[in-house]
Amino acid sequence: MKRIFTRISVLAAFCLLTINVALAQNITVKGKVVDGGDKTPLPGVTILIKGTQNGTQTDVNGNYSISAPANATLVFNFVGYTALEQAVNNQATLNVSLASSTQQLEQVVVVGYGTQRKIDVTGSVATVKGEDIAKQASTNAVSALQGKVAGVSITNNGAPGSSPKITIRGTGSIYGNTGVLYVVDGVWYDEVSFLNPSDIENLSILKDASSQSIYGIRAANGVVLITTKKGKSGDPVINYNGSVGYRVVTNQLAMANATEYATIINELSAINGAPNLFANPSSFGEGTNWYNQAFRNALQTNHQVSINGGSEKSTYNFSLGYTGEDGIVKTQNYKRYTAKFSNDIQVLKPLKIGYTISATASNSDDVNGSIFRQLYAAGPVVPVYYADGTYGDANDFSLGGGNNFNPQVTLDYFNQKSKNYRYNGNFYAELNFAKHFTFKTSIGGDFGQAEVRGYTPVYQATQGQRNDKSLLEIKRTEDRNWILENTLTYKNTFGDHNLTILAGQTAQRRKNYYINSSALNVPYSSEGDLYLALGNAADRSVIDGGSLTTYSSYFGRANYSFKDRYLLNATIRADAASQFYGGGDLWGYFPSVGAGWVISNEDFMKDQKIFNSLKLKGSWGKVGNAGVPVNPTTLVVKQDGAYVVVFNGVAYTGANVSSLVPSFLNWERTTGTDIGLEASFLNNRLNVETGFYNKKTEQAIFEIPILSSIGTSSGKQIGNQADLQNRGFEFLATWRDQTKSGFSYSISGNVGLNNNKVLSVVTGLNPIYAGGAGLSNGGLATRTIQGGAIGEFYGYKVDGIFQTPAEVAASAQKTAKPGDFKYIDQNNDGVIDGKDRIVLGNPNPKYNYGLSTTFGYKNFDLTVDIQGVAGVDVYNANIGSRFGNENFSKDFYDNRWHGAGTSNTYPSAAVGSTFNSAPNSFYVEDGSYIRIRNIQLGYSLPSTLMNKWTMKKVRVFVDAQNPVTLFGYKGFTPEIGGTPTNAGIDASVYPLSAVYRLGVNVTF
Amino acid sequence: MKINYKNTYIQKMGIVVICSSLLIIPACKKSFLDVDPQAQQPAVVFWKDASDAAKAVNSMYAQLRTWGNTAFPALALESMGSDEAEKGSAANDSDYLNAYDNFTVTSTEGQMGGFWEAQYQNINLCNQVLDNVPGINMDASLKARYLAEAKFIRAYSYFRLVRAFGDVPLRLNVPKTPAEFNIPRTPKAQVWAAIEKDLDDAAAVLPQTYPAADLGRATKGAALALHAKVAMYQQKWDQVLSFTNTVITLGYDLYPNYQEGFRTNHENNIESVFEIQCELLLNNKDASNSQYSQVQGVRGSVAGWGFNVPTPALVAAYETGDPRKDATIIFRGETTPQGDAISPTGDNPMYNQKSYVPFSLIVSGYTEGSQQNVRVIRFSDVLLMNAEAANEQGNPTLAKTSLNRVRARARGGIAGILPDVTTSDKEALRQAIWKERQVELAMESDRYFDVIRQGRGAAIFGPKGWKAGKNEVWAIPANEIDKSAGTLTQNPGY
Repeated sequence: MKRIFTRISVLAAFCLLTINVALAQNITVKGKVVDGGDKTPLPGVTILIKGTQNGTQTDVNGNYSISAPANATLVFNFVGYTALEQAVNNQATLNVSLASSTQQLEQVVVVGYGTQRKIDVTGSVATVKGEDIAKQASTNAVSALQGKVAGVSITNNGAPGSSPKITIRGTGSIYGNTGVLYVVDGVWYDEVSFLNPSDIENLSILKDASSQSIYGIRAANGVVLITTKKGKSGDPVINYNGSVGYRVVTNQLAMANATEYATIINELSAINGAPNLFANPSSFGEGTNWYNQAFRNALQTNHQVSINGGSEKSTYNFSLGYTGEDGIVKTQNYKRYTAKFSNDIQVLKPLKIGYTISATASNSDDVNGSIFRQLYAAGPVVPVYYADGTYGDANDFSLGGGNNFNPQVTLDYFNQKSKNYRYNGNFYAELNFAKHFTFKTSIGGDFGQAEVRGYTPVYQATQGQRNDKSLLEIKRTEDRNWILENTLTYKNTFGDHNLTILAGQTAQRRKNYYINSSALNVPYSSEGDLYLALGNAADRSVIDGGSLTTYSSYFGRANYSFKDRYLLNATIRADAASQFYGGGDLWGYFPSVGAGWVISNEDFMKDQKIFNSLKLKGSWGKVGNAGVPVNPTTLVVKQDGAYVVVFNGVAYTGANVSSLVPSFLNWERTTGTDIGLEASFLNNRLNVETGFYNKKTEQAIFEIPILSSIGTSSGKQIGNQADLQNRGFEFLATWRDQTKSGFSYSISGNVGLNNNKVLSVVTGLNPIYAGGAGLSNGGLATRTIQGGAIGEFYGYKVDGIFQTPAEVAASAQKTAKPGDFKYIDQNNDGVIDGKDRIVLGNPNPKYNYGLSTTFGYKNFDLTVDIQGVAGVDVYNANIGSRFGNENFSKDFYDNRWHGAGTSNTYPSAAVGSTFNSAPNSFYVEDGSYIRIRNIQLGYSLPSTLMNKWTMKKVRVFVDAQNPVTLFGYKGFTPEIGGTPTNAGIDASVYPLSAVYRLGVNVTF
Repeated sequence: MKINYKNTYIQKMGIVVICSSLLIIPACKKSFLDVDPQAQQPAVVFWKDASDAAKAVNSMYAQLRTWGNTAFPALALESMGSDEAEKGSAANDSDYLNAYDNFTVTSTEGQMGGFWEAQYQNINLCNQVLDNVPGINMDASLKARYLAEAKFIRAYSYFRLVRAFGDVPLRLNVPKTPAEFNIPRTPKAQVWAAIEKDLDDAAAVLPQTYPAADLGRATKGAALALHAKVAMYQQKWDQVLSFTNTVITLGYDLYPNYQEGFRTNHENNIESVFEIQCELLLNNKDASNSQYSQVQGVRGSVAGWGFNVPTPALVAAYETGDPRKDATIIFRGETTPQGDAISPTGDNPMYNQKSYVPFSLIVSGYTEGSQQNVRVIRFSDVLLMNAEAANEQGNPTLAKTSLNRVRARARGGIAGILPDVTTSDKEALRQAIWKERQVELAMESDRYFDVIRQGRGAAIFGPKGWKAGKNEVWAIPANEIDKSAGTLTQNPGY
């Protein structure tokens, strides 16, 4: 952000320099101006002698020199920073640090297809500076937003290289692509894991419909605009950022030890009328702690070098980055290499061209997706290895199905490597003509290639874990996308009237292709053997597929302001998407309008002292969601392996029509209204922003179950099925100040409240059940129904545990056993059945909040971020999902029912029975948490030393991410995620971890 | 607007930039947005030639392997309610299946929905063929045969539906409009009639034998034998007799070794009237998808999960020395004829041997035993239907001939066991035939509905909870009734 300001301030300074400064009897004051936070030098700061028009500006290294009266006062002004007055007091050197004032209304905000002064923005746009993202120990830029922005909910997954789930102002889509749109330097992406966070200059989150609607087609779930760093004129500035640290599992789930396990499994056998499996449980002692066996402190390394500079006519920015991240599970790791080059050339006075090219390569050693389930379920009585070095075998302990495995074998024999390559960038040309017009054309491309190569050797590790024929599997995926954009901007001022008009056109094409292949009996003496060509020729397998979508769009926007008091914004976008070609509303129209009133600029506010600024704003807009499957209205033929028939040993291809498509599909559109207030007080030290929104998704597209007797293979049909609503409130307050002694600090808190509701659904009061993944016995944990929240938890309400056979006999559950759940007979019909289920909880978080603080004193800086979620429920599917003798958590063991009177809340060891594992209130827990998201302490080496070393800056830091997370949930982590109708169900999620790092930032 | 540049170079540059960008704007052109489905053939260009018809017919046979047709749903509805089988496996594993054994099942239990859906999926694929193949320009006799095959599979699916649920929605065409989607249950008499018509049509066209490349397709004998069974369930004894008499003349015979006849290397043998063709295709897991053998395989071994296991009542049903007992039941601790030693400890004392695939044939990573064909109708069933119909029609001599032919093969050359039935008393002979069906067809999902059609449901299954007036049929799946918004009605008692 700072560098954008720089360009503006250069212009401002340029104007100032034309004023001839000529004063006598002065002394020369020299000094350096730096950022109060990270101590980076600030170039382009204007310095005025108070009471005069005389001044200068800092150079590229933040140094200045000014001739001023010995008793003068200097005023330091820089966009985005709080103005500072400093008396000269006859000093020849005056070093100054400016406190950033990111929330001030003078700030410039990146919006769709341009920038606006923050004061002119009538919608709801949140901005995060690149350095705040790069500072954190997150490999993925989006992950770093957690807790930073009101109304934005981030659910992180701890797996290395994984992308978090981001939800802006609640879940507004159920089906297809429910994610946000990322626009990186004008190119559209579905995710940004390829991006090195250090390359980010600015990140804007468009939260309301009026700011989103300029991206009509894909904006319904929010838009994140990312601008990467551009070059700046001046001598080359070389930056190095490096860190090394460890990722450590926190809140590790305690499981029953071997003795406890043997005890509870014997109880389970007794309940089932089977003989004891373990004659002497205590003989097993502690046994194997499988989590300890598989987890490790995982190394994390980061290196990033960038070079930035240029002449007046041409600037460049070049960066190289490396991230190495081990998984907390042994054998898992991830490496990412990034390179980015951008170049901007002022070819002629009115013509500027530029480009950005980036290349990312990442590769990983993967772990088997079932490992977390295995670590939970594995019997602690089984040793990792026997004394003779062979693997401990669950079969030797007669554990039976369900946990007939040794997780170490699963780790050792899983050999899968993933490689991802991504090349993308854009080229633009910008022409200014006729004084007020700017024409910009830009073409962006994105080419991605991914390969997953898995090899399973022939082995026999335990009775149940073996492989008879070696198998090589190679999967390749390609993305080939391009986007073309042309915009024409007219900008003019007529007296008190400011007018900006933008008209634009864009077209894009997105193509995906994949090919999966495999071969048996591939030898493996070296990596060079891992080719399909070396496998059996007779039964090689290959299958491919792909998708193609095209979009064509036109858009326009008008911004008008009068005397900087009255603001009006209007946009319209027309989109056509290939998905709706020939079977739907091909063109969708997405208008929006916004208005603002800068009350503080009114004459009647002139003399008041309370507000530095005060703005009231409101907006309304429509946006669309094209994230539906390709060709949704085209009936297609299914030809796959399941339709292959074998007659007399020979396989024959089968194909048929086994689906049903709608004859017509409308756009899914979201209408949002937004009212907000921005105010700053106390000399801009306190900034407050608050807003209300009401977001209504109309004709939401998703699949609903259709009659099975129609005989389709999915039993579902896509269509415009529902109206949804998200209503909420957001509040953000920031206090920043600097004491005379040089202590600067800022405290910023935000909270977002959201209520999610299904307004109507074509099935009416007939619910859509989902949430079966990870549950056993066919249980479905969620339902979506008119009047409820999307994917609310649904099931039986537990009213205690049956203690005695007599109690069972007197109840509505005649077939229950003592130790089973006692369910409430909601309809009092004397039978417990599906009709007795009720709503048990809501997986959509009601509150997201964060608190960010920064402290600076002398050369020290400290950041502490706290973040949390409240008013949310999660479903613990791990407890009840059982097929045999799976292990239990220590909590379950300690609290279980094991005889009359032992527990009235936890059931017996037979918790996995169909009856007990049916979705019920026992499994629904409060998913609220609060965590210290980030703590970072930095120290910048003194400038005297820097001068001596001819370096600009050296800063060392230590930090911790997620060192403390507090929650009541009894699983690994309440941060779970999931698709809208399957959200919040914990079925072996990736465990929670903390990262501790030591790092250095160096600028030459 | 007015462009007034002094520098013509700049002007040119600007024009070049604008024009070049405009030139590559493909917007507004219809073709840019008219995108073909990728890697998926649109249905409108399918159904054009004989190979399309062949593929569609193949898909019907493949569909018969699916989970709902061969695994839990089918075993729950067609086997576990009987006295010969029970849930098996570990006590906790899928204990919802017990509700089919003790008749506490309610309409929301998923196996009924799974079975219902699977049968209608079969029917949809058949209806697609029957609606679309007639319009294809191709060899007329091959076309007729394809249509006859579709009718056979549709009849088989409706037979399983009407037997399990009674009245069911009868769909003889692919529904096209919303009005055709939600239809009420058709009275079972009409469903039976539709089945009979399909089988008449099929039998008139289907060949009795196929060249080797088509081994396993529905034959004339299969259509007649299924028709006989359909008639038997309606006590149309004259039809049963005439159809089975015809089938007996078609060249079938009993396979000499009863146990061997169920192994994968003796599939589609001379006794086979219709089998669901299943295979393990290396490197094609999608096609190796029959879980019929897996779900019933010996638990704790490499073979499977151990569901649908034989009961002591079945053991007791065999006459002393009947080799079929050991051929039908894998006992814990035994060594199978193929040499697999079954662990003496383990969850269940007995497993189904008719679905058993020798361990040496099981390939890790593939559905265990996915190569095992499901025997739908064997010639011994035809003989026993013939015997029963002959007895009901007053021809005990023929009845005994057919019955004793089955017993003779079962004897396997061992003297002194399974003597010929000699009685001509109608009721005694009927009981003997029923008894023979029980042991000859044990663990082949015949027993449950056989006992019900014999009118002995309450007598035999009553102690397990079976109630007359309710348990003759299962419940219509509750969520199907919900989706129909009340157009579908529930069976009595559910």
